Amino acid sequence: MSDDPYEVLGVKKGVAHDDLQKAYRRLAKKFHPDLNPGDKTAEGKFKELSAAYALLDDPEKRAKYDSGEIDGSGTERPRQNYYRDYATSEQDHPYANSSGFADFMGSEDAFSELLRRSAQAQANRRGHDLEFRLPIKFIESIAGASKRLTLPDGNTLDVTIPPGIVAGKLLRLRGKGAPGTGNGGYGDALIKVEIIPDRFFTRERDDIYLEWPVSLTEAVLGAKINVPTPTGDVTMAVPKASNTGTTLRLKGKGAPKQGGGHGDQLVKLKVMLPKGPDPDLEAFVANWEYGKTYNPREGMVP
Amino acid sequence: MKISEQEFLIRSGLGQETLGSWLEEEWLLPSKSSIETSFSDIDVARVQFVRDLQETMGVNDEGVGVILHLVDQLYGMRRMLMTLQNEVPRPAD
Repeated sequence: MSDDPYEVLGVKKGVAHDDLQKAYRRLAKKFHPDLNPGDKTAEGKFKELSAAYALLDDPEKRAKYDSGEIDGSGTERPRQNYYRDYATSEQDHPYANSSGFADFMGSEDAFSELLRRSAQAQANRRGHDLEFRLPIKFIESIAGASKRLTLPDGNTLDVTIPPGIVAGKLLRLRGKGAPGTGNGGYGDALIKVEIIPDRFFTRERDDIYLEWPVSLTEAVLGAKINVPTPTGDVTMAVPKASNTGTTLRLKGKGAPKQGGGHGDQLVKLKVMLPKGPDPDLEAFVANWEYGKTYNPREGMVP
Repeated sequence: MKISEQEFLIRSGLGQETLGSWLEEEWLLPSKSSIETSFSDIDVARVQFVRDLQETMGVNDEGVGVILHLVDQLYGMRRMLMTLQNEVPRPAD
């Protein structure tokens, strides 16, 4: 690599414009990436050549460079992909042809057999996999569901969501992707499952967490209350003297575990006073001695 | 990615008339349906390549045709080699 554009083009400083162009063309033919598809360094060399020529081809810039006002850097022009990047890609295109080696495929030796086989493989290429996003409800992620996905082309795809699926999981539907060529067959559809956050439930590993309100009476005296789980309501016993933060475990009501069985649902209680003032409650609390001395903030030093 | 003729002209910087003569020379082979002609990224890159041949290297029209013909064969062989590399099972060591 050289910063001197004259050196890059292999010419002397006082070179005439015609000779400059000649030198550039000679080197461009040698190093153009599309004419050297197997040479990974060709692109860098060609870029360097083009930048050097862009500088010296412009009389004003050349004069500035010669007088030392500017240096040889910063004249590279951005360039999109080269033809070779597309022409050798796996995508089919109409330009590549086999007339350069067709005769080799006609003979009976092992190499011709290899060529014929790969020509066939090229003709029978499997279709691409297609990726889709599928948002589902939290409850569906735990209990499983059948969903119908409408594809951009108007077709539909039925997707079975297995119970206990986690966010980001890819479901593969064999043969539901893009068509291949020849006997290549279809690619697969890859469904990326997204779980819409639930208002009440959250999940951690195989356990499900729920914060659920109870009344003061239920908390103090104990009660049997209905609690939702992703697979339906269950009755739960709230023990006497429960409190805000008391966490009760519903065994086996969590998400299905991979090796069989289920996690648990953990219900965190939240004690709720009735809305608005209540004269009876006020009268009771006013006469309640322990209520006056109990300090819930004791020992809480931030 | 398919692109329309209009978008192709904008992205490649090719004029309508030039496009006509290049199609006649078969330097470009867009896909044609009964309704429209559509191009893709490889066509845009091919235009840039032909431009480089003409402007950067000073190749004339006859030369461009010959070069494209040879280059297409070269890329055909490269694709074949790639498939050979990828799809033909290697003998076990």
